[in-house]
Amino acid sequence: MADLAFCAHYPFSSAAKKYVSERGLELTSLLLEKAEDRVRDAISSGKIRKVPKLAESQEEELALYAISRMIVSSANNRYLINRYAVAEGKKTSDYLSGEDSGREDYLSEAASEFGMVFESAGKAGKYLVPLAKYLQYTPRSVDYKLSNREVSAGKVIVNRHERNRIIEEAVKKKMENELPIRGEFTPEVKEAAKRLLALLPKLEAPVLRLGQENYPPCIVKLLEELSMNINLPHTARVALGIYLIKAGMADAKIVELFRSAPDFSEKTTAYQIAHLRAKGYSMPACSTMDSYGICMADCRCGTPLNFRAGLHGKRLTHESEGRK
Amino acid sequence: MSGQTNLQEQSREERFLREKFSDFYSRAPITVRSLEKREFGFGGWDKKIEFRHISETSEPNLRARLVRDAPLYVSHSVAYYEFPDARPMTKKNWLSSDLIFDLDADGSACGNKCGKFTCQKCLDAVKQDAIKLIEEFLVPDFGFSRDEMSVNFSGSRGYHVHVFSESVAQLDREARREIADYIGGVGLDFGRLFWNEGKKFLGPSPTQGGFGGKFARAFVSKLSDDSFAISIARKLKKPEERAKLISAIERGNYDNVGIANREKKLFDNFEKMRLTMAGRIDSNVTADTSKLIRMQNSLHGGSGMLAKSVKSLDSFEPMRQAPVFGNTPLKIKASEAVPALNICDYSFGPIPAGETRELPVHSAVYLLCKKAAALA
Repeated sequence: MADLAFCAHYPFSSAAKKYVSERGLELTSLLLEKAEDRVRDAISSGKIRKVPKLAESQEEELALYAISRMIVSSANNRYLINRYAVAEGKKTSDYLSGEDSGREDYLSEAASEFGMVFESAGKAGKYLVPLAKYLQYTPRSVDYKLSNREVSAGKVIVNRHERNRIIEEAVKKKMENELPIRGEFTPEVKEAAKRLLALLPKLEAPVLRLGQENYPPCIVKLLEELSMNINLPHTARVALGIYLIKAGMADAKIVELFRSAPDFSEKTTAYQIAHLRAKGYSMPACSTMDSYGICMADCRCGTPLNFRAGLHGKRLTHESEGRK
Repeated sequence: MSGQTNLQEQSREERFLREKFSDFYSRAPITVRSLEKREFGFGGWDKKIEFRHISETSEPNLRARLVRDAPLYVSHSVAYYEFPDARPMTKKNWLSSDLIFDLDADGSACGNKCGKFTCQKCLDAVKQDAIKLIEEFLVPDFGFSRDEMSVNFSGSRGYHVHVFSESVAQLDREARREIADYIGGVGLDFGRLFWNEGKKFLGPSPTQGGFGGKFARAFVSKLSDDSFAISIARKLKKPEERAKLISAIERGNYDNVGIANREKKLFDNFEKMRLTMAGRIDSNVTADTSKLIRMQNSLHGGSGMLAKSVKSLDSFEPMRQAPVFGNTPLKIKASEAVPALNICDYSFGPIPAGETRELPVHSAVYLLCKKAAALA
């Protein structure tokens, strides 16, 4: 017999799916309305409200989860899907660190959805995560930088909070990968999706109008490599994309630049550039560029966007001559 | 598409080398894991990769191509694809990739004296790097077992370590870059290894994983050296004080003995211990999930030597074990100054530019591939 509370808190789990497929799902207008609210909360506040501890509400949550996914899929907008994915992930870790914090059985079952087992590291509140899972599901931030972690025999030690964070990220990635689900949606679902799309913020980042003479050496190099049909790594493409967006270049023009990439796909590139713009990603700092292996010079400008030929360029020429 | 350029355009040297290579491939062992899922790339006299997006269905077919086209470089993808010959890249449908580490002699061991004729010092240094990578990182930290790893001499001046572990086959570029960063100590914040708890100054213990444990182990082991111990604190001249400090460090406590300027001293020693492999592996290669890498047991067109699969790094001697072309004499004329070299226990040179010599064919091929000589 399935544990309804578990299913409601972790509706992405196989137990929840099984529960729903056994009971069936009825798409009423009331449920649809509630699901639309649920998605609206997710994209506006980044949060999905918790479910009251009532069997009725828990059962309803399973339906709302399924309908939310339909609405989000019908909207088929990457920004919306990603916002929603973030909120589903966040909700999961809120349960794990909140009302389910004593339920090691819930945690194990949720983790097993992603093929993860957290062994105890032999110290209270410390757990072992297999290296590959750690790399897949931790944010690329200083706190999680592998160089600063205890790594031994293919396992990384994390604390309780980080363990929850890893599951949060896994849920987020699962949503991002699974959505949109394909299918014909009812007119009501489509209408709800339209209303939500209309809410999306118009994200127009203030643009700098940087001329090519102000492109820093790293960006010039990436553009050169691109034109030579060199397969740039993902991180390099992202950095280049963000830079060109911030430098004020139009999407269509950026897509044209990427045309010479060996694996160029117009659709994918256009989508990725639009995604970068929508998400408003900030430009990686020079130190980050360096860790990606694409920093080319010691311009000391902090971020490639700060580079100005008149200022840093001179110093650069001067210094490289000095070194000889 | 043929890997063979127009015969008329080929120099005598290139034709000669291609004949030798073709003959070699007619009898060489070919071992590529899941060959049919790899993308192949072939190179010639001017470029290491001239043709790519090529797939082969079987070992005999690949061999036939190598014998026919006699490419000077043979590479295959570190990736496994559903459609290895599809273009553009996204249509190949990536399935997974081996995890690769590329180590190259950068000339620093001999102070950049050897140039393109990589010297013994540089070859030894890069071999030690490969051993360090495996013994201090891949096995203890990442938990890879030796039977899911293979080591190849690159055929020229470095090593490629391939890890075939299922556990990491799906990792994307960024995750792979994180692994490379770890080995190079990129983003390592030494300050994070230590912290104050009340009055205590705590840090890593020797049993711990990661760079903390590496530091603690190295530090404890160096404390057995008198001058090192005294450089940390005068008091440590006494063996009983040293023993006390060591047993405190085993519990992660670093303030058992008053150490003046403690943080700086620990950090300076961390730097000196060279526990990371900063700059020793090419992290772009590790991060690249579609990299083409030299095929194991193929010939390197820049040296004529074998990219030999190495069973035991300790006893491997590239200049003795990687040449394959025997010692029939062959006359060549040096087109540039060639330093003193030793190939397969045969010492020759220096040869001044313009001079002719008769050399065993393995050494002659080496110079021809280096473009440092012509057939005489």
